[in-house]
Amino acid sequence: MAKHNIPEVKANWEATEGMWGMSIDMDVCTGCQACVAACAMENNISFVGEEDAGYGRSLHWMRIEHTWQGEYPEVTPTSFEPVLCQQCGNAPCEPVCPVFASVHSKSEDLNLQVYNRCVGTRYCANNCPYVARVFNMRDYDRPDPLSNQLNPDVTVRRRGIMEKCTFCIQRIHKGQDQAKSEGRDVLDGEVVPACAQACPADAIVFGRIDDPESKVSLLAKSGRGIQLFEELGTLPRVTYLKEEKTYGRTG
Amino acid sequence: MAVLANSAPHQHSQANSAEHDHEAHLREEHLMLDPRPRGEMNAMVMESMLVTSWKFWVVAVALAAVVAYCLGYYWYRMIAEGLGIAGVNRPVYWGIFLVNTVFWIGISHAGTFVSALLRVFKAEFRRPFTRAAELMTTFGLVQAGLSIFMHMGRIWLAYWLFPYPNERGLWPNFHSPLSWDFLAINTYLLSSTMYLFLPLIPDLAMARDRSTGWRKVLYRTLALGFRGTEGEWTHLRFAMNLFAFAILPVMFSVHTIVSWDFAAAMRPGWSSTIFGPYFVVGALQSGLSAVAMVIIVVRATMKNMKYFIRPEHLDAIGKLMLIISMAWAYFFFNDYLVQWYNGDKWTDILLKFHEEGPIGWMWYAMLILNVALPWLTLWNKNIRRNPTILFIIGFLINVAMWFERYIIIPTSLSINRFPFTYQFYKPGVEIPLSIGTVALFVLLYMLASRIIPLVPVWEVQEGQMAHSLRKFGKESIVTVSDLE
Amino acid sequence: MTEQNKNMLLALFPDLDPAAAAVGKLRELGISDEHVNVISGIPITEAMMGRKPHPSHVPMLSLLGALGGLALGIFLAFGAANLYPLDVGGQPVVPGPPSVVVIFEMTMLGMLLNTFLGVFLDSRFPSYTPKEYVVEISDGKIALLIECEPALEQGISAAMTQIGAESVKHAEAKTL
Repeated sequence: MAKHNIPEVKANWEATEGMWGMSIDMDVCTGCQACVAACAMENNISFVGEEDAGYGRSLHWMRIEHTWQGEYPEVTPTSFEPVLCQQCGNAPCEPVCPVFASVHSKSEDLNLQVYNRCVGTRYCANNCPYVARVFNMRDYDRPDPLSNQLNPDVTVRRRGIMEKCTFCIQRIHKGQDQAKSEGRDVLDGEVVPACAQACPADAIVFGRIDDPESKVSLLAKSGRGIQLFEELGTLPRVTYLKEEKTYGRTG
Repeated sequence: MAVLANSAPHQHSQANSAEHDHEAHLREEHLMLDPRPRGEMNAMVMESMLVTSWKFWVVAVALAAVVAYCLGYYWYRMIAEGLGIAGVNRPVYWGIFLVNTVFWIGISHAGTFVSALLRVFKAEFRRPFTRAAELMTTFGLVQAGLSIFMHMGRIWLAYWLFPYPNERGLWPNFHSPLSWDFLAINTYLLSSTMYLFLPLIPDLAMARDRSTGWRKVLYRTLALGFRGTEGEWTHLRFAMNLFAFAILPVMFSVHTIVSWDFAAAMRPGWSSTIFGPYFVVGALQSGLSAVAMVIIVVRATMKNMKYFIRPEHLDAIGKLMLIISMAWAYFFFNDYLVQWYNGDKWTDILLKFHEEGPIGWMWYAMLILNVALPWLTLWNKNIRRNPTILFIIGFLINVAMWFERYIIIPTSLSINRFPFTYQFYKPGVEIPLSIGTVALFVLLYMLASRIIPLVPVWEVQEGQMAHSLRKFGKESIVTVSDLE
Repeated sequence: MTEQNKNMLLALFPDLDPAAAAVGKLRELGISDEHVNVISGIPITEAMMGRKPHPSHVPMLSLLGALGGLALGIFLAFGAANLYPLDVGGQPVVPGPPSVVVIFEMTMLGMLLNTFLGVFLDSRFPSYTPKEYVVEISDGKIALLIECEPALEQGISAAMTQIGAESVKHAEAKTL
């Protein structure tokens, strides 16, 4: 008899608060952008070209923020801060979409962007305090043989649609399907999003934060954990680890 | 005392010439004291509608060309290629399209202000231009609707905002201010079009009686068989009164809901609780200035309009423009003081960007043209009564109100809580598309002026019936009877 | 198509006072108010003519429209949300303040739409059948449409003319 607690029908999954979460260790992040590249490869992110990228239209779901303080020559650089969709529990992007294209999933407790429902009003992007959402301004080319690089598990988005990090939900589903077919629960560390997989410093840890023994939960509860803009009440699912715990922002 | 329009003017037996002059002056000044036979006024309005010079058609064709190119061609390209040819980026996801939407909805409040608010307050000077103002509402809302459609990424799916039962069982999200916008703007569009049509019916009947050919067919159809029987007037009067009172909360709610598109968002500079009334007053400001502009142009370009629209009307509108400008300044300062005072880091950066950033000149221009200009000029009666100067002032106020919305939308969107993402907004095809909407507004208005009698003659006659000169002591004073 | 309707007289008055006096005179002559109709180019209240207020269904229809709009608003706010409940932003499935907005807008829309339709219904708009009318009415004259016995016509004509009617003739029903 299979012993697992994944219900037969996905729609019936009830999540306790905070199922999938992430922790990012800013003390070891080198700013190499491998996570950004891996995310783009995994999720079929289009290449917008130099001009559009310079104008702030690049479609990367993740960005590495690097700021510095002071005037030259007394400049102090700050940590590298990978910023992605925080999959907020109280996501401000959700109530403002007029067509329910941005909704909260009951089963994975993530914020879902429903591509085929999006009509492109872009209110969600304006309301995201983490500026985590990007918009397809045009249809971007993917000339052969670049089209061979596409991931068949992920939709390719057309112009007029918002997109954002999904915590590699296709990998989450694959992991859960695999575990269910083997009659067991998903193991901690079995589901690895593209960014976590690519990081050479292992700065990104992903897992179930409703499991108090999972690696990501233990890291989140370690003394170094902070959350971005916690005071806004968005309940983000990403914890940033930084010694000299500085409230809210890096540096 | 005979008081109908086709009765002789008030006779008085005294041979006091100063009093004569005073009364003659009053008659020249006030349309309501200068009645002409109704038949004559009907003929004047019909003439202004029918007589068209070649210059009119030159302008109309030029505007049509502008609309076809700026609006038609560029919008087609934007739908086919995507919003990439516009200027939006991250983080400025809303740009001039939203500015135009708010701007046109603001202009559309002009009509309701004149035809409903002034009617409720029994301001008699509204009578000759209520329809001219109400037309602005309808056509302004058309431009606002176009601008909203323009900003959508997948406009061909716009109908999903409409609540209709479907196979997927999906309904619009009424948590979203954009859904409230959809309901409110459509309610307002339908209501103000109905409110435009109801008082138009008797004038369509008049036009029907005085037309031949295709016009007769058109007006006969649109006049619905109206004759002016007691019953018809009873029903119409009740409906018009109800509309006047009821459309006021709708008007207030529409622009408040539009303001909530911004106030409901958790952005520095946007989540301000004063946005509701601030936007409503801003709408009245730009709307009223636009009414002034439109009736000055109507008065200058259409035949016989100088009888109906007199310096007294410009005077009254100018006074209102001054008062609303003071109200706008009050609400602006409320918003600004509170933001400036509390020292929130991001709001501070935002305010500095507004005032000292690359668009700082716009911020100063907004304040100078919205506040200093009216306050320095509109207290003066001669300035208010001068059509050219009032037109320029009205135009500059509208420019300043457009700037205000530009500062609130694309300029504020550049600033958020992640300086790494700050980007400046550079408009692309928004510019020809905006020009296209302005051209379409003017074109629609011009064409409507050929088909719809712009002056509600029956309302003017009703007003003239109600007005008389009454002697208080030695002075003849304008007296208004409350005929409702 | 014109028809001589022997029982309908149309008396045209240039002004309000003679028209109002005429209404009283007609009552004296035995023509009750239901057989007299007032047609004018500006709204003249029934009281000005000394007549009883004309009944209208428009107020009731407005109220019904408001109730209908209220029902629609309640459906959209409560019903539609519960038909396909989706979790957005931690807000309850039926959000409080937004429901007020939706219900308000739909109530106003229902009321105003029904008022508009009520005018059409009560006035039997649109109606393109031939009616008794003269174009002088839209030029500011007041017409009294009098339905009377053929025997009384002469007397009424004379009385109207004496009171101040510009013309009294048989009303012709023609297409407007």
